[in-house]
Amino acid sequence: MRVRRFVLLVSVLGVCLLLLTLQTRGEGATAGQVVALVTTPLQTVLTKANRAAVGLWTTYLDWKNVRSENRRLRGEVEQLRVDSLRVRETEDENARLRRLLTLRERLPLATVAGEVIAREWSWARSLTVNRGRGDNVLRMTPAIAPEGLVGRVVEVRSGTSIVQLLTDPASTVGATVQRTRTPGIVEGEPRGTARFKYMARDGAAIQIGDLVVTSGLGGVFPKGIPIGRVSAIIDRGSALFHYATLTPVVDFSRIEEVLLLTGQTAQDLVTYFPGDR
Amino acid sequence: MRSALLLVIFGGGLAQTTFAPALRIGDITPDIPLVMVVLLALRRGPEIGCLSGFVTGLLQDAAGGGFIGAQALTKTLVGFCVGQVGGRLWVQEPLVQIPGLVALSLLEGIARFLLLQIFHFPGSFGDLMLYIVLPQSLYNGVVGAAVVLTLAGVERLRGWPSWR
Repeated sequence: MRVRRFVLLVSVLGVCLLLLTLQTRGEGATAGQVVALVTTPLQTVLTKANRAAVGLWTTYLDWKNVRSENRRLRGEVEQLRVDSLRVRETEDENARLRRLLTLRERLPLATVAGEVIAREWSWARSLTVNRGRGDNVLRMTPAIAPEGLVGRVVEVRSGTSIVQLLTDPASTVGATVQRTRTPGIVEGEPRGTARFKYMARDGAAIQIGDLVVTSGLGGVFPKGIPIGRVSAIIDRGSALFHYATLTPVVDFSRIEEVLLLTGQTAQDLVTYFPGDR
Repeated sequence: MRSALLLVIFGGGLAQTTFAPALRIGDITPDIPLVMVVLLALRRGPEIGCLSGFVTGLLQDAAGGGFIGAQALTKTLVGFCVGQVGGRLWVQEPLVQIPGLVALSLLEGIARFLLLQIFHFPGSFGDLMLYIVLPQSLYNGVVGAAVVLTLAGVERLRGWPSWR
């Protein structure tokens, strides 16, 4: 057994030396060609297999990269979407506050800006504002927005106030049609609109689209604050009074900030509010 | 079994020119046939070690375009010697595998250089050792250890007896 091993070793070494010797005598090309005859087809097959494996691997890596990149990009898009919403939100808030500040600076009376922190939107219609007793806010303080009248403060607490919206069924505001100077009273309606009541028959010249503003009578609201526009006129024929339905100029569902009018003025404020009259 | 063995020997011999470039680190590729010859010699003894060394060496010589027979001779010697003394080695121990393969690779490199000196090989010994043989020997050690550990893991997983 041991001898056979060494015979094998010596034979193999002999072949190697023979091959080497042949090459030194210029017969190397023939030896190389003989070996290549066996190796070339095998090498071709192996190279093809290698290429296929590498190709598969590359495809897999590409797919994996695309997948992870896709996941990353999705996350990025989500983040950008959130950022974009945040920016839009900030821009909206900025625009609202700018309008409120502009109005506040122009108004000839003392005001306190308040942020809406809660809403009541069922039987009663009210807003809770983050300004209270310590901010010089009193009961009956009018609340306005850059577009017009919001309502009045009906309850003052230590850090908050409850503002009754003019669409609250319990709300009444002395008003006048700006164009015809027809006087009346604006009352809230359960469906979220307001009604301009006690309008004398001879004031029937009002038209749909007319602006109704505060009259300044009663001493609660300064004169000339826009309330709403006439959306329908209900004529009861022979009745002494007829009424109009108003669409408030302020969108109460979207209001975020209000100005509380803590000062008094006898001046007509209608020119301080935007919009065509 | 024999055909599988032949496939391993031929495949391993030719893998050097096809698969090894994919494992290149810098300019260094592992000598896959040498690692394979050593592992086969440890498992199958000196005859298989000797024959696999001859075939893979011959294939490498042919593929490399150098002196046909040089690597065949050195790898034959390595396969035979490892097969002879392999029974006394505990090859699953990484402390044996890595230095063992590094040393064998170095010895094979030195042997090949000495052999090629007979044929007036022009390369300088220092440069060859420093830039080719030594880094490749280290790489062979790592590759060999990885292969042995993988095989041992697979055998343990399947409940086979140790590959030795």
